[in-house]
Amino acid sequence: MDQIESLLKRPTAYENIDGVTELNTGFATLGIALFLWLGVHTPEHSIWNRTYAFLIWIGLLFVLSYFGTKAIKKHITYPRTGFVKYGTSHLKRSLWWALIVPPVIAFVVAAVVTAGVFLAVRAQCSVTSALPAVFGLCVAAGYAFGVTRTVRWNALGWKWALPASLLFGSIAIAALPPDLTGRMASGSWMTASYPAESIGALLLCLMLWGAIFLISGGVTFWLYLRNTQAPTEEANEPANADVQ
Amino acid sequence: MNRQTQTFNELDRVIHEPGRLMIVALLFAVDQCDFLYLQHETEMNKGTLSSHLSRLEEAGYVEVVKTYRGKVPQTLLSLTEAGREAFQQYRKKLKKAL
Repeated sequence: MDQIESLLKRPTAYENIDGVTELNTGFATLGIALFLWLGVHTPEHSIWNRTYAFLIWIGLLFVLSYFGTKAIKKHITYPRTGFVKYGTSHLKRSLWWALIVPPVIAFVVAAVVTAGVFLAVRAQCSVTSALPAVFGLCVAAGYAFGVTRTVRWNALGWKWALPASLLFGSIAIAALPPDLTGRMASGSWMTASYPAESIGALLLCLMLWGAIFLISGGVTFWLYLRNTQAPTEEANEPANADVQ
Repeated sequence: MNRQTQTFNELDRVIHEPGRLMIVALLFAVDQCDFLYLQHETEMNKGTLSSHLSRLEEAGYVEVVKTYRGKVPQTLLSLTEAGREAFQQYRKKLKKAL
């Protein structure tokens, strides 16, 4: 029975066999970090601080991710190791749950923490640098629960290092001296509303997470290319196969 | 004949063969996949996989669609409703027997 259950889980692991899920996550995270950096370092009324610009930016990232993934799957993954359509089966539902719920929880927790920090600033209390650590904890938990479910651990056991890197990297950023992280946002109009060290720490965290996801996805993609055979021009099935 | 033996005897013989069980379990977890994916996952050679698929198609458990990916022939495979039902019944009976 265990072997049957294991077989049923295999298509889930196939989703990220080429590391494209992580490449997408890294790309999107670095894209958001870039937008935030532009917002921090441009005047308050510039285009980079408009809601519609953010929505267009997110839409652009989504379109690039969607078509980028489609192109990689179509030209590299499917010809090498085959095509899979997940459709509306229970597996797809569980995959969506695994990929969407953790980030949503992470954002809700982050929003609550941000509101708490904002209130602390307004009350002129001292602000800790715990925000990025909390973010890191949520992202690491989300990653461990979500993306890592799509990893074949027998082949890619080193991926356990990723949630650990996300967590410890975030804690390390939180532990940096406030004046150091504050330099990332020094002179910004945002510092009137938010502490410079929190903005700087958030920027650093987003860059760190994006880089970790990109590196992990890149290594997985490289290993995938190395371990799979490039497609040939001939048919993948025997021409005289019984299955016609 | 005790109940356990009887349950084992009631297992669907088409699905019970290890190679076909692997194919049906993989197809159960997806809506559709191609021949290459099954070959990659099961590590069977083309002839063996093709023969198992023919048996499953005869039993009405697998639907086979021949198409092209560019100029390369592609065989798309999916489990029929009867195939899904048969696999679920098989799992229930196996669990009961064990």
